[in-house]
Amino acid sequence: MNLQYLNWKIHLENPAQAEPDEWFKVLSTWIPDAPEIFIDVADYKHVPDGPVTLLVGHYVNYSLDATGRQLGLLYDYKHPMDGTNEEKIRSSLLGLLRVAKRLEDDAGFHAGKPKFKAGEIRFIVNSRAIAPNSPETLEAVKPDLVKVLEKAFGVGGFTLDRPADPRQRFSVDVTAKGTPVLADLIKRLA
Amino acid sequence: MKDLDLVSSESAQHWKKTLSDRLDPKWREDIDNFETDILLKKKGKIEDRVFAETRLRMGAYGQRYDNGHRHDGVEMKNIPFPTDLNKGPETKWDAPGMERIKLPWGGMTADQLDVMAELAEEYSDSILHITTRQDIQLHYIHIENCPSMFRRLAAVNITTREACGNSVRNVTACPIAGVCREEAFDITGYANAVFKYLLGHPDVQDFGRKFKIALSGCKHNPCGLTNIHDLGLTAVARPQPDGTVKRGFEYVVGGGLGAVTYDAKLFSDFVPEEEVLALTQATCRVYARLGEKKKRHRARIKFLVADMGIDKFREAVLEERAKLPNDPRWTDFLATLPKFEEKPLREAGKGIPKTDDAAFDFWCLTNVYPQKQDGFVTVTITLPMGDITSNQARALSDIARKYVKDTMRTTVEQNIVMRWVSEADLYNVYNDLKLIDLAEPGAASIVDITACPGTDTCKLGVSSSRGLAAELRTRLAVKFVEMDEAVRNLRIKVSGCFNSCGQQHIADIGFYGISRNVAGYIVPHFQMVLGGQFTNNGGSYGLATGGIASKAIPAVVDKLLDMYLKGKQKGEIFRAWVERTGKGVIMQSLADVSAVPAYDTDKSYYTDWGSVREYNVKDKGMGECAGEVVSLTEFGLKAADREIFDAQLKYDTGDIKAAGDKAYKAMLLAAQGLVKMFNIDISEDPEKVMAEFRERFYDSKLFFDPIAGPTYANFYFGGHDARNEILDKEKAGRRLKEAQIFLEACHNCNLRMSMGANKGKVGILADAGSKSDSKA
Ligand code: HEM
Ligand code: SF4
Repeated sequence: MNLQYLNWKIHLENPAQAEPDEWFKVLSTWIPDAPEIFIDVADYKHVPDGPVTLLVGHYVNYSLDATGRQLGLLYDYKHPMDGTNEEKIRSSLLGLLRVAKRLEDDAGFHAGKPKFKAGEIRFIVNSRAIAPNSPETLEAVKPDLVKVLEKAFGVGGFTLDRPADPRQRFSVDVTAKGTPVLADLIKRLA
Repeated sequence: MKDLDLVSSESAQHWKKTLSDRLDPKWREDIDNFETDILLKKKGKIEDRVFAETRLRMGAYGQRYDNGHRHDGVEMKNIPFPTDLNKGPETKWDAPGMERIKLPWGGMTADQLDVMAELAEEYSDSILHITTRQDIQLHYIHIENCPSMFRRLAAVNITTREACGNSVRNVTACPIAGVCREEAFDITGYANAVFKYLLGHPDVQDFGRKFKIALSGCKHNPCGLTNIHDLGLTAVARPQPDGTVKRGFEYVVGGGLGAVTYDAKLFSDFVPEEEVLALTQATCRVYARLGEKKKRHRARIKFLVADMGIDKFREAVLEERAKLPNDPRWTDFLATLPKFEEKPLREAGKGIPKTDDAAFDFWCLTNVYPQKQDGFVTVTITLPMGDITSNQARALSDIARKYVKDTMRTTVEQNIVMRWVSEADLYNVYNDLKLIDLAEPGAASIVDITACPGTDTCKLGVSSSRGLAAELRTRLAVKFVEMDEAVRNLRIKVSGCFNSCGQQHIADIGFYGISRNVAGYIVPHFQMVLGGQFTNNGGSYGLATGGIASKAIPAVVDKLLDMYLKGKQKGEIFRAWVERTGKGVIMQSLADVSAVPAYDTDKSYYTDWGSVREYNVKDKGMGECAGEVVSLTEFGLKAADREIFDAQLKYDTGDIKAAGDKAYKAMLLAAQGLVKMFNIDISEDPEKVMAEFRERFYDSKLFFDPIAGPTYANFYFGGHDARNEILDKEKAGRRLKEAQIFLEACHNCNLRMSMGANKGKVGILADAGSKSDSKA
């Protein structure tokens, strides 16, 4: 299996405080002069159970996301990546964590300053062709996923759970033991 | 970061491999061809303009910022897309685009909705957007993902072909056709027949602009909006002396919104059902032949009808009709009409359930339509700005499966209706919808605001239509329940520019985006259009009353509604009140709430809704509403390029026979393409193509190359004579090379002729090229 279109989502510790308009402003300030290729910010705060505020990029989209009615930051890598599965998992997870950290540190937030639950993240493969949502996919993905997660959370430092709805994309919920800190995870994965 | 190919990615190959066998062969070919076009474009083998029209005809539009520039509120910045390639003139390959998915008469099954939800997740942004012509659009799509999307759609019987471009767009129809209490008869099957008959039809490939058709089940209700269409068909059931009823249509042409609105003109008050497809085909042929091709702002059929006058136009169409060879499909579809008769899944109810749930009662008032079939209702699912998320869509399709038999349709007011809900189930349906936030009341009311994509994603957007619509909706929703009925039932529609995709001309209160200079600053504004009529099939257009700053509009709307409530006479509709009061008085009364404060006093007026950048109009790009005018010859040459590309692939993999056959086929297609300059009806028969090519291009010397003279034509002639021979590898290789050269020469000939070097008249009205004796 050649893993592609990797997505990660990290949940908010303080979802009630999230202000889509503030996210809109902050994400808009990321566009000019970014080293990444960003196109625009889209506002979907009028619909539930999906994106809320979306920074559209060429390679990656970042969004305040309410899919599954859980607010968090979604990191959506849209292009095929090079490298081994382990490497792709590692670099995309690192991508998510760095953006989460950047958001936590962004001075543009006021009332709704985000705080993420570093120990509660979801891994998604955004391709039903590559990764049907089945136990077999989990078996195939697990070794590489575990290797990366062990680096971040330590051996035995987390549990995995695959939501089973076959119509949803393949995803794995990662729950860490204890309360990991974003900056530490980034350091371990970098 | 390394950019890997999307079009040949593992995931794309998976869909190609697993779905191709299941697709309608013609649709499969369209998609395979488009995929090849993408590959050829990436190799620089197709002109930007031709590729643009190719993708538009598959529903793949450009989007804002796809010229690679974006103004950040201070200055214009480049978006450094990784490749230099273009997918149209000034349209970057890697820039995200929009995909329009065609839903004829708005019909969709639960399975189709599921697939669209999946596509939105995997290729777009998990949002499905319902348009003002019953389509569904996905945004931020990479062009190279389109073939996979198309295959997955085709596997559930959806095509995107001719969703954009200069072609017959989606055929729209009343969303309650078949269940409507007032219809003459159910038009669904007819709408489907029109769609099927014209899809990919050779007579609709050479338009100067788009062509929109709508069907309505009755004259007085709004659903079909026939009056604003290029071609409108309204059902008429005529009692006959023998007591039977004859079905037919009132046939109107040349209506349209856009910058200048036109009322459709009555072509005939009764076209019998068996004649409708034939007459439509004749109308298309006349439009293709006589419609403007060069000046795109004059190219819609409304201008042709206005210029000719309806009587002359009718004469031309009837003359064309008389010449058409009979096509059995004109009437075959009549036997399939019963297929469109829907059945309920559940037993009829006995009245709407009584509950003590006031919210349910209110929802019933605005969102439930009692069908002509006793015990059943149609439920409207109001979607804010036409948007629904993938998860909601999947949950909705489950609700549909539970209560009805695949009877959902999209509406031109950007909603979804679920028909055939048993009254007995209504409260359960309501509660199920509520769980997924789809039980908002207010369908077809003042809070159900229609908005085009505007500056969010449209290249032509001037002001933020969606931003304004969202703001108005939020504010009006707060007061909605207490509103006087006269106000509650008004409609608001917003477009981001004068093109009117949001249909503001047929709203009571409409807006379209403009910009105005205020003391040296550009300020986002909307032109306010008052008193349009959604009823009577888009019966009359509103009156432009004046420009208002975007940020002032909510206050203006509040005051306007208040003035109407206080000033209207008993039973006076909004339009009548506007006319009686006068634009001048209305605008004067609104002056206090529409003034724009100085920049230093309140900067918020200088930023549009839904934006944090200071307003500018520099992000506007070239629109693609018209598509590129690409001649049939150019399309023919492109098909030939595709064939030779395939021939080479076959040759490389050792399939010599296929390589030789395809090389010949490529020459045939190219020759046929050239002949189309003079005769669009040229047959597929190789002998006939050869004969016409010889007469029109060889004998006339039109084809002769300035240096090589007739040489290249001889490659085609030789290939033609030997087309049934079995070639060995060497001979096939030679034919391949000769075909390549012949194709090149055809492209050059087309270029010379379109630049006028041969003074050969280009176009289907031209008489045979044999007159030309020019030596190119
Ligand atoms: C000169 C350019 C254009 C003109 C004159 C034009 C005009 C119109 C009109 C009058 C309608 C609506 C109603 C109707 O005919 O029933 C429409 C529909 C629409 N237009 Fe445009 N349009 C233009 C360009 C665009 C562009 C660039 C976009 C943005 C991508 C766009 C997006 C839409 C959408 C989303 C709809 C509803 C569509 C459907 O499903 O067919 N239009 N257009
Ligand atoms: S009305 Fe203007 S802004 Fe809106 S979609 Fe049409 S062309 Fe774009």
